Amino acid sequence: MSNRGNVKIDERTVWEKIADQLRSRSMWMLHYCTGCGAVELPPSMTSRFDLERFGIGPMATPRQADIFLITGYLSVKTLRRVIYTYEKMPDPKYVIGFGSCTINGGIYYDSYATINRLDYYIPVDLYIAGCMPRPEAIFEAFTKLMEMIRKGEANGWKRYKENYEWYKQNQLRSLGEVIIHDEFHE
Amino acid sequence: MMSSTNNIGLEEILSSLNQLFEGVSTEKVDPRQYKIITPPEKTIPVLEFLKEKGYSHLSILTCIDWIAEKKFELVYILFNWGTGVTFVVSTYVNRDNPIFYTVKHIWPTAEYYERDVHEFFGVKFEGNENCEKPLILELWNDLPPLRKDFDPLEYSKKHYPDREYQKDAIHEARIIRGDVRGEIDG
Repeated sequence: MSNRGNVKIDERTVWEKIADQLRSRSMWMLHYCTGCGAVELPPSMTSRFDLERFGIGPMATPRQADIFLITGYLSVKTLRRVIYTYEKMPDPKYVIGFGSCTINGGIYYDSYATINRLDYYIPVDLYIAGCMPRPEAIFEAFTKLMEMIRKGEANGWKRYKENYEWYKQNQLRSLGEVIIHDEFHE
Repeated sequence: MMSSTNNIGLEEILSSLNQLFEGVSTEKVDPRQYKIITPPEKTIPVLEFLKEKGYSHLSILTCIDWIAEKKFELVYILFNWGTGVTFVVSTYVNRDNPIFYTVKHIWPTAEYYERDVHEFFGVKFEGNENCEKPLILELWNDLPPLRKDFDPLEYSKKHYPDREYQKDAIHEARIIRGDVRGEIDG
């Protein structure tokens, strides 16, 4: 799928390579929590494990964030907001699927309300397996992501552009409509 | 903590319930919890009566699907902040054409419980004009999902594609445990 067409998404210019070196050392993580995995983030961010020594910190708005963590099960209702948020984030953006629920549905594999596979709807650069992954696993994932960015392997945002129609079609298949209707805001 | 006067008040309420309302049965679940089963036409007078007697907090209004009996059980849980006693008031409505009456005029918050019950079980509440508005699920187009005859696995398979695996890990785990005979490849 990633090699469709003639565009090679892992090709980078010299400037992009330099930029990626710098990007990997200063990343902001969108403060958005979708499932139970969010409980692992406060210990990761606070003094015991101290996420900031990797240059990663929480950010309140998608407009200024680089990493999007999908922390746990994702209901279709949240998926609409996730797609909306993901598309709002500026390039480059990286998605980490957190916990078994994002990989194959986890214990919610038979739920009418949650999706079973995150990379069917938005591109995922990295998955963390486990239910729940401990902060150690989160750090393992973040260091791995930093390496991937330096090597130019974390190119989910390019894949999303390239296969936009495929992703949109999948989103519509499961959601019916991606636009959010909300009686409290309309 | 509970004073003896409160206990006397409780017994008075229980005996006057039996005297005032025909067909109402009471059952002691716990010293602080009583279940009251009422015929549908007596439910709202019973709730009004209990609210006057201090059971002013509607903790929840929910529903149980008794598919074999072809009944929906509507459950109103009332709490008394003065004595800490809970009354579980329940009634049965027909499963084929589930219609009941709103308690919005007694507790305005019931509007949302009633919308919730309508969305997940399909019970209509007469007098609540917003009853059929969607509350939690978005763009739902199937059976109400908490009915016993709704199959969530089938719905999940139809709408949310699964990840495809090269090998059947659960089958292999069964072979390793000795439940089934077979060979593990690779």
